[in-house]
Amino acid sequence: MIERLQNKYERETSNMFSLSGHGRVICSPAQHVSCSGFEEIHEWPVLSSDDKEEIISRVERVIEGDGGPHDFLRQRAALMMDEMLENALYCAPRDLDGKLMYAKGEKRSLTSGEEILVRSAYDGERLFLEVSDSWGKLSPEIVQSFIALNLTNDTSANRAGRGLYLMWRFMKDFYVNLVPGLKTSVGGYLLLNPDTHEYGAI
Amino acid sequence: MEQQFRIEIKKGSTSDTIHFHGNIDSHADTHFDDLVKSISKRMVVFDFSSVGRINSMGIALLLRSIKSLKADKGAEISIQGESQTNAMLFKMTGIYLLAPEAKRL
Repeated sequence: MIERLQNKYERETSNMFSLSGHGRVICSPAQHVSCSGFEEIHEWPVLSSDDKEEIISRVERVIEGDGGPHDFLRQRAALMMDEMLENALYCAPRDLDGKLMYAKGEKRSLTSGEEILVRSAYDGERLFLEVSDSWGKLSPEIVQSFIALNLTNDTSANRAGRGLYLMWRFMKDFYVNLVPGLKTSVGGYLLLNPDTHEYGAI
Repeated sequence: MEQQFRIEIKKGSTSDTIHFHGNIDSHADTHFDDLVKSISKRMVVFDFSSVGRINSMGIALLLRSIKSLKADKGAEISIQGESQTNAMLFKMTGIYLLAPEAKRL
């Protein structure tokens, strides 16, 4: 199963983009971010919404070490995985009219042909996180519009794209790989010791 | 840290303290339904010391309840006990604009 998913996701991707600290798309060429260089890369397929908590626990266990900075990294990793998995499970699936097919929190199993893959790696300083889905719906324009919407300091409760905005704020080298209609990968790094006022440090 | 979400309200002489327990996400939705009705004091403290994760859906629930408490009860809300990550979230999403940290009041 994992090998089949890996082959699928190793296909050449298109329309890769990453975002600057101001929310602008950096492209041509996009910054290449990957988990190469890590000794061990963990990959876990997600088969249903029931897998979410187990996957989050596995990612927390990837971070070896004890103490304040490690706990802080685990907290951020859990939050990022939560948002990334919610996006893949509930925001990516759209019907022909572009409407959401599932409500957040609803129990669901992946449909035939649908795939979600989590990749994670840790080298003692950086935690790599990536979640891929097989919908391919997240264009650079959508991501930018969500980030712009959430940068306005508007405290509307139902602000669209808040999860993506948080990923962009927390993660270093946040990126989206898109093969339209086939695959979306969202990922980036969390740092054990983020610089002050960067990547969510306060 | 317990994952199952629940809300516990402690009535004080001058303020009501709302203790949140567990993760705050879409599964916590129904627990917020009667929150505003349960509050009688004008000073309200949100205590997050027993809270794990708060995701974007949880942020939406908190923003909605803070706004309702302010609009319906004229409440002044402060926040205490939040983790480092949740403090970052509150800063990024404007929650501190509506409900500052208790120590800043």
